[in-house]
Amino acid sequence: MERQKLFLFFLTLAVFISLETLWTGTDMPLQGGVVLAQEGWLKEFEDICAKTQDAMVLSTDELKGLIARCDTLKPLIEKLPETQKKVYLKRLQGCRDLYVFVLESKRNQ
Amino acid sequence: MKKTVGILFLVIIFAATASAQTGVKKKRPLPNEYGRVVINNYSEKAGLAPVVFDHWLHRAKYTCRLCHVDIGFGMKTGTTGIKAADNISGYYCGACHNGRTTMNGKKVFESCSRTNGADEKTRCLRCHSQGKYVRPEYDFATFTQNLPKERFGNGIDWEKAEQNNFIKPVDFLEGVSIKRQPLTAQKDFALGAKLEGMPDIIFSHKKHTVWNGCELCHPDIFGGVKRGQIKYTMTEIFEGRYCGACHITVAFPMIDCQRCHSKAVQQ
Repeated sequence: MERQKLFLFFLTLAVFISLETLWTGTDMPLQGGVVLAQEGWLKEFEDICAKTQDAMVLSTDELKGLIARCDTLKPLIEKLPETQKKVYLKRLQGCRDLYVFVLESKRNQ
Repeated sequence: MKKTVGILFLVIIFAATASAQTGVKKKRPLPNEYGRVVINNYSEKAGLAPVVFDHWLHRAKYTCRLCHVDIGFGMKTGTTGIKAADNISGYYCGACHNGRTTMNGKKVFESCSRTNGADEKTRCLRCHSQGKYVRPEYDFATFTQNLPKERFGNGIDWEKAEQNNFIKPVDFLEGVSIKRQPLTAQKDFALGAKLEGMPDIIFSHKKHTVWNGCELCHPDIFGGVKRGQIKYTMTEIFEGRYCGACHITVAFPMIDCQRCHSKAVQQ
C-alpha cells in the first residue's frame, strides 16, 4: 500500500515536471506539437532570412524555394501574439520581397 | 498722406509677392536637429508628450540595417505603430532599452513602464519630450566634437567617421539579428545626370552596404529590376522617393550635390 502511494506520488511528480517544461511562459497554453511548431517557426525564419546577403548568387530555383518557404511560414507567424506577429511578419515580408526582386532581376538579365 | 499711401502700397506689393511664391520655404534644421523624428501614434492619446527621436546618437552606435531590418522600424515616421506594450515585451525600442543591455559598459535605460510612479514619469520624459525641456544625457556638441565634419545635415561626415574608426556601428544584436554571411558588394556604377554640364552620379553599393542590408533598399525604395528601367528625377528625390528616402532626413542631405555628382569611378 505504501509502495503504491509512493509510486503514485512519483508518477504525479513526473507528470507535473513534464507539464512544467512544456509551459513556455507565454500567454498561450501549449501542447507538445504546438511547442515544436512555435520553436520551429523561429528557426525556419532565421534559416530563410539568413540568405538575404547571398541573394544575388543564389540560383533561380533556390530563390523560388525560399519564396515558397516564406509563404509556408507566414500562416504560422500570423498565429503568434500581436507584437511578435507584427514584427516578424514585416521581417518575413522584407526577406520575401528581396528574393522576389532578385529573382525578377535575374529573369530580366 | 502721399507718403503713407506710398508705404502702404509697397507693403501690399511685398506681401502679395511673398504669398505668391509656390511652396513653403522650410527652415534648415540645426545640426543636432537634423534626423529628428517625432513619433505620435499613441503618445498624446495616452496623455504623454510625443516621442522625440534623434537619429544622430543612434546612428553613431548602430547601423541602419540593425534597426530598420532586424528590429523592424519603419522607414517613414509613424509607420511602425510602436506601443508601450511592444517595448515592454522587448520589441522595437525595448530590444535594447530593456534595462539589461549594455553599451560601452553602461546599462541602456528601460523604455516604457507598466506602472506610473514618479521615477517612471521621469524616465518617460527621456523620450516623450516634445515641447518639454529635458536635458539630454548626451550633448550633441560634446559627443561629435572629434568626429570629421561636413557642411550639411548633422555637420558630421558619418562616412568618414566610420571609415576612420571614429565610430564602429554595431550591426548585430543577440536574440534579434540573424547570423549572415558578409555581404559582397557590387561595383560602383554611374548614373547619367539629365542636366547638361552636371557631373554624373557615381553610386557606390559598397558605401551603402556598410550601413544597410540589401532588403532595406530593395525593393521598397529601389524596385527597378533592370538597370536603367527607372528614370530618377530630382523632383521625385526631393519629395522623399528613391535616394530621398534617406538623403533628406538622416543621411547627408541632397543639397550637398558634389557628394553624389562626382566623376571618379571607384574600381
